[in-house]
Amino acid sequence: MEHEVKVSTAKPIIEFRGVSKTYQTGTHALEDVNIKINNGEFVFVVGSSGAGKSTFMKLIMREEKANTGKIVVNGFNLTKMKRKTVPILRRTMGIVFQDFRLIPNMNVFENVAFAMHVVGADGRKIRREVSKALSLVGLGHKARSMPNQLSGGEQQRVGLARALVNSPDLIIADEPTGNVDPNMSYEIVSLLTEINKRGTTVLMVTHDHNLVRDFHHRVIMLDGGKIVADNAGGDL
Amino acid sequence: MKLNSVRYLVGEGFKNTWTNRLMTIASVGVLVACMVIMGIFVLISQNADMAMGNLEKQNVIMAYMEDYSWALYGNGNSQLGKDTTEQADKNGIRPSDYVIHNEDEAKALCDKISELDNVDSVTFVSSEEGLKSAIKSMTEEQREYFTFLNEEGENPLSCAAKISMKDMKYFDKTVAEIQKLNGIDTIQSSSEDAERILAIKDGLAAASAWLIAILMIISLVIVSNTIRVTMYTRKLEISIMKAVGATDAFIRLPFVVEGMVIGIVSALLAEGLLYFCYRIATEKIVSTFGAVVPFGDAMWTLLLLFIGIGVVAGIIGSVIIISKYLRKEGSEFAAI
Repeated sequence: MEHEVKVSTAKPIIEFRGVSKTYQTGTHALEDVNIKINNGEFVFVVGSSGAGKSTFMKLIMREEKANTGKIVVNGFNLTKMKRKTVPILRRTMGIVFQDFRLIPNMNVFENVAFAMHVVGADGRKIRREVSKALSLVGLGHKARSMPNQLSGGEQQRVGLARALVNSPDLIIADEPTGNVDPNMSYEIVSLLTEINKRGTTVLMVTHDHNLVRDFHHRVIMLDGGKIVADNAGGDL
Repeated sequence: MKLNSVRYLVGEGFKNTWTNRLMTIASVGVLVACMVIMGIFVLISQNADMAMGNLEKQNVIMAYMEDYSWALYGNGNSQLGKDTTEQADKNGIRPSDYVIHNEDEAKALCDKISELDNVDSVTFVSSEEGLKSAIKSMTEEQREYFTFLNEEGENPLSCAAKISMKDMKYFDKTVAEIQKLNGIDTIQSSSEDAERILAIKDGLAAASAWLIAILMIISLVIVSNTIRVTMYTRKLEISIMKAVGATDAFIRLPFVVEGMVIGIVSALLAEGLLYFCYRIATEKIVSTFGAVVPFGDAMWTLLLLFIGIGVVAGIIGSVIIISKYLRKEGSEFAAI
């Protein structure tokens, strides 16, 4: 499988400079993390439980604030960002969750459209973009199905369509293959790779070493809150 | 916020009200009960106010004038007039011994009294009318004893002005102003009654204010509770909203709409129920006590009060509850 790896001359979309995060409980989640992720890259974030992957993602989404250091995402300085600006930052990214987080009483179309309502899109644009996103993930024919009528893989593809529908610059996927079978996992990562090829930066947390091995993307490995490996070639 | 979003969110608010209909019905029920109690108190208060107003009007004062009878019986030896060249009558009274010489002068004084700010009405009472009324209030024995009063020249009463006031609050001030007028002798009044009326009115107003305040707090708690339950049922939705970049106002609006819908529906139901109850109650009361405040007079006040309470409770309740949770993020939110 051949995949394009963006060269590091591109502009960074995510930048961590000396970032540390310690929770109020005293847990040191991240320690002096320095990293740059360029626009258009596909990056796997790997590491064992408690390595700091979740904290790393939460800091990017500005769900948590760093204690020290500087974080810049999509041109936003997260260290100085005010709470009311956070929604603007999040509109520049699409988030895919491990547990899909589909709203059970909304059908597939409505679940995807929901993300567009949040940004105040008009009805016509919503119909056009949602159809496009669903076609891209191969679920155009299931627009009227309810989430409980879909398989795990299909539900995750709906989640992916929802993350894509607002055409974000960055997709953050937090273990998107964690609740789906291996075949479907490959399909989902292939889809993400396809999306990445169109220019969207993808940051994916995973435990699945097979995926990391088979898709040759940059890999950042975390352990004990520190980056212990960063391999732009895709092999650890 | 864009118009598309507002339209969508208002629709969501209505949808939520229906989705959580059991909770909505429970909240509306309790809120209606609160509003009906509040309404009953307002109506009782208005009726009491009307009754007090009537009492106020009945609480008249009598201002006796310095006329011939006053010179003869009340102040006969005062020799008010200094003009000793005047001829005294058979009773030794000269025209300069008293101020009010005839009915025209008495009525002119009545007109002066009616010009005072707090005076509602003034009626001239001649000494003959005063005597008639005094005799009427006597027992049979007293009447027999005082028959001589009817004889020519034996009426000791002066003519008077019968005065009713607009507001009993300014009772003492008004009495003092009347007293200052030339030609007024004594004023017969019952300041104790005035104080009692005022105390009852003030008490009712204070009780109404407290009750309304307490019931408003209860309404606020009820609506807040409904909103809290709705929020729990929608926490997944809210966590997704936050993840895709919804502002706090965007997340809050459907809850505010839901709170307002509960408030307005409750207000309309309470108004209808109150109208029905008041009609039944007043049918019985009117036949026994006479007039009551018509529901139409209080209708708009009550409706505005109810809608105001409902809407304010809806807005404040939802804003307080939601704000508390809006600070939570992602997994933190899903865990509540």
